[in-house]
Amino acid sequence: MNKRFLSWLYGDQDVMAHITDEVDRPDMSHSELKKITRQAEEEYENRPEVLEAIVNTRKRFRGIYTAVAVVSCIAMTLVLLYTISLLPQYGAENPRTMEVVSRYVEDGLQETGAVNIVSGMILDYRAFDTLGESHVLFTALVCAMILLRLDRKNQRTKYEDYYKTRTDIYFDLSGDPILRLVCAVVIPCLLLYGIYILLNGQNSPGGGFSGGAVLGAGLILFSTAFGFDTVDRFFTLKVSSIVTFVSLGFYSFAKGYVFFMGANGLETHIPKGIPGAIFSGGLILPLDIAVGCTVACTMFGFFSLFRRGSIGGWL
Amino acid sequence: MGEWIHFWIVAAILVCGIAAFILAAAGVFKFGFVMNRMHASGLGDSLGLGCVVLSLIIASGLDLTSLKLCLLVLFMWLTSPVSTHFLSRIEINTNPFIRRHVRFKENGDRQKEEVE
Repeated sequence: MNKRFLSWLYGDQDVMAHITDEVDRPDMSHSELKKITRQAEEEYENRPEVLEAIVNTRKRFRGIYTAVAVVSCIAMTLVLLYTISLLPQYGAENPRTMEVVSRYVEDGLQETGAVNIVSGMILDYRAFDTLGESHVLFTALVCAMILLRLDRKNQRTKYEDYYKTRTDIYFDLSGDPILRLVCAVVIPCLLLYGIYILLNGQNSPGGGFSGGAVLGAGLILFSTAFGFDTVDRFFTLKVSSIVTFVSLGFYSFAKGYVFFMGANGLETHIPKGIPGAIFSGGLILPLDIAVGCTVACTMFGFFSLFRRGSIGGWL
Repeated sequence: MGEWIHFWIVAAILVCGIAAFILAAAGVFKFGFVMNRMHASGLGDSLGLGCVVLSLIIASGLDLTSLKLCLLVLFMWLTSPVSTHFLSRIEINTNPFIRRHVRFKENGDRQKEEVE
């Protein structure tokens, strides 16, 4: 163990400090600096050994790339053809797989009350599976938060300033008038469409996951166009936690009640409604909303954590 | 007779749209530089999509489906120029060798850049 490493480990010395030195530029005008950089670039690129190395690398890469592409394509094709040869013939009865499917198709509408048979499957027959999926999303968000979140303890204003000055100028799109105008038109339609998908999941293709994804994408677009400060006004870490907790808790309790009380066709006192109406399908609509809220919070949380290391502003 | 004319109009516009898409794909593979590829793919986004959706609208007649298709074209034509705008902006800001491909005016002095 050398001294430098130990001093870094205990936080005495800042190893990364030299990065920020670049920000203190020498007193040189902008055009002068530009000219010097351009000259240096050209000199470096025009050296014969550099040119040769570039050409050689390109040739080698192209050869390897072609070989790998051809081999992987042929392997994939063979695997798929072999799999197809194992499938039963079209129209043939396959008692192992057809039993459950025919039950879903024939009795699904009657048993779940959902016109969209896929929603009936994932939120009624296999709701336990969907519960696990929602919790996987929540766990992924928590892991990303553990790894990426910057709080008062490990927030380093020096690096923050550095990245703001160096990279955010290029990638921050929030001030652009073109984007703002288009987003002002598009985002309301997008959010409305997301809510429509969410609420109509039991009657038409859609449901919790797709509607939540559209809502999350709308939030991400909103924060990109109008800046994170605007989103922080209504979507803080507290709001995100409460929404996720309430959704997952409601899902767990509601489905737990049905699992324990309504198994094997016992009476659960949850009305099925008229198939095709918005309030139909028993628990499918509320569960769709719960899943959608979780997915939207997770998507925006991921974006926000990767983009700036926090959800809803600095703590 | 009327049905045949209807069918042939739809088919002709659809083939035009598909040809535009094929040209766009070929252009994306042929060119090497980002701006050229964006220029090529813009053909498919604007002309190709417009032709295909127009032919589908003619095929389905005026009803809810054609309204949805119109909205699809509207949103695509609204959003795709914005994304290409930002793609080109980021390319200009981050590519150090941008002056080899592009000739543009400086902000301060309005003189054309000399490119060798």
